[in-house]
Amino acid sequence: MNAAALHPGRVQRAIALLREAVRIPELALGGSVFIGLLLLALFGDFFQTHDPGRSDLTQRFLGFGEGGHLLGTDHMGRDVWSRLVAGLQWSMACAFAANLINLVIGTALGLAAAERLGALRNVSRQVTDALQAFPSLIAAIVVVVLVGQGFVPLVLTLGLLSWPIFMRVTNAEASSLYTRDYVKAATVAGVSRIRIMIGHIVPGLRATLVSVFALHFAALLIAESALSFLGIGAPLGVPTWGNMLAESRQYVLVEPRLLLVPACAIILTVIAANLFGDGLGVHARRGRRTEDR
Amino acid sequence: MSELLAQLRKLIVLVLAVGCALFFLLRAAGDPAYVIAGMNATPEQIVAVREQYGLDQPLWRQFVVYLGGLARLDFGESISSGDPAMALVLDRLPHTLQLALMAMLLSIAVAIPLGAWLGARPDAPLRRAVSGVVFVLQGSPGFVLALLMIQLFAVELLWLPSIGYDAGDWRTWVLPTLSLAMFSAPSLTRVIAANVVEAMHEDYVRTARAFGASFSVTLWRHALPNALLGGAALAGVQFAGLLSGSAVIESIYGWPGLGSLLLESVSTFDFPVVQAEVFVIALLVFLVNASTDLLFKRLDPRLRDRR
Repeated sequence: MNAAALHPGRVQRAIALLREAVRIPELALGGSVFIGLLLLALFGDFFQTHDPGRSDLTQRFLGFGEGGHLLGTDHMGRDVWSRLVAGLQWSMACAFAANLINLVIGTALGLAAAERLGALRNVSRQVTDALQAFPSLIAAIVVVVLVGQGFVPLVLTLGLLSWPIFMRVTNAEASSLYTRDYVKAATVAGVSRIRIMIGHIVPGLRATLVSVFALHFAALLIAESALSFLGIGAPLGVPTWGNMLAESRQYVLVEPRLLLVPACAIILTVIAANLFGDGLGVHARRGRRTEDR
Repeated sequence: MSELLAQLRKLIVLVLAVGCALFFLLRAAGDPAYVIAGMNATPEQIVAVREQYGLDQPLWRQFVVYLGGLARLDFGESISSGDPAMALVLDRLPHTLQLALMAMLLSIAVAIPLGAWLGARPDAPLRRAVSGVVFVLQGSPGFVLALLMIQLFAVELLWLPSIGYDAGDWRTWVLPTLSLAMFSAPSLTRVIAANVVEAMHEDYVRTARAFGASFSVTLWRHALPNALLGGAALAGVQFAGLLSGSAVIESIYGWPGLGSLLLESVSTFDFPVVQAEVFVIALLVFLVNASTDLLFKRLDPRLRDRR
């Protein structure tokens, strides 16, 4: 007899998950839009109709669809659609990388705090409180200016500053998991603390962390575009949504399209990520309820 | 009294942490002399800057001098204008406080009735639609909403000026206040609505209803006050969010507050000003957090004896 019949495999589990996902409207809507945007970013090069950096001063301010430009051209005759896709790639990559750093730092500190590693717990709490109390964008502005412009400095700044949310969620969730009977049983049975953490606590955190990851993704995307908009995130000339918005400000009278297109793109992406995260949160809570039964 | 002492201890930790972070960040980012003297400085200028700012001293001495300055709230002079950095910051502070206060008041004025209305019957069709709008507004980046509002009210409708600040002309205040309120009003509305929904299912509300209190009385007299306590506990977080927001909003509207000063000083690498500014902002957020903390321990008996 093969193992797949006894244990539902990955495929079966994925199908079950999808079936459940459809029953959570936030998850279905937000998830499909978000995954669509993710695919667009991953395979962006296929979807770009023009080189996003190439300008043609004879083709400035073309409207929607004019001259083969889907969303027209900007003040330097560059293709707005291709720049939008390039901006999506930049934002997604930046938010994703920073989010991973946040996840690792926050989860590690949260687990340490929940495991009651004495001093570490106090220190991580204090640092978390302090970081969370300080206006995040102002901290990011100061740090990013010190470490310099560009992709890596931006990712490092956001990655090192905005992990407290992961720390708090992990700490709260893990602390409650530590009071569960199966964890106590494992402790009594003499399972080492490390193995309990990796084998019993971390798997229980997964669903919640995925939801926080999606929600925080939206926050990072906003922070990244705000920094670029202020002219201290992405280097000048790189096609990002923040830069596109900043450049559009000189042409609000001539061409509001240059403002509206990236504005809609940011709002759509952020809302999709928020919905996705909320839906995943509903899913995580439902999973927990069936577990408790 | 012990509460005050606890807050004081927190304050000292905070001041030291922020001070150390700034000190080491500036030095970790490279030789501050180059940063201060600018990109095109000659070697002689670099040496002069090192002497002037004491950067030729050993690190520990610099640190001691720096901490001494910190204790006296003296961050040195602005590199670009030569004025004391702290004075520049304090000069801008009232404008930011004014903007943040106006935005906060507007948020509260909108969020309380709207949140109560949404939370009273969350499943009514119109309210579901409004909840959707609030959700979208909460998710949308504030600076993008600000740009869209400028486009609508200043460029298309020509109702309000798009930029500039005039202490005597309230019309220059409207869009910045509205924009900054977008950072706090949607989330506040959602928190209050969620709290009202929860409170309406509490035993005390059911009891009041059973004793014949009307729906609106239970909503406004029983459910809402408790919902507000939960919302008000977020005041510190909201305030920090407003300060973050003011950095972008002020630079969009040319509002002469801390946010635009920060961006000016950051882009000219005017570190004394940046340090003074970060320090003042940290202090401000701390004061708001500490006072709401103390206030709510008095207002909410449930918080009083919990440690």
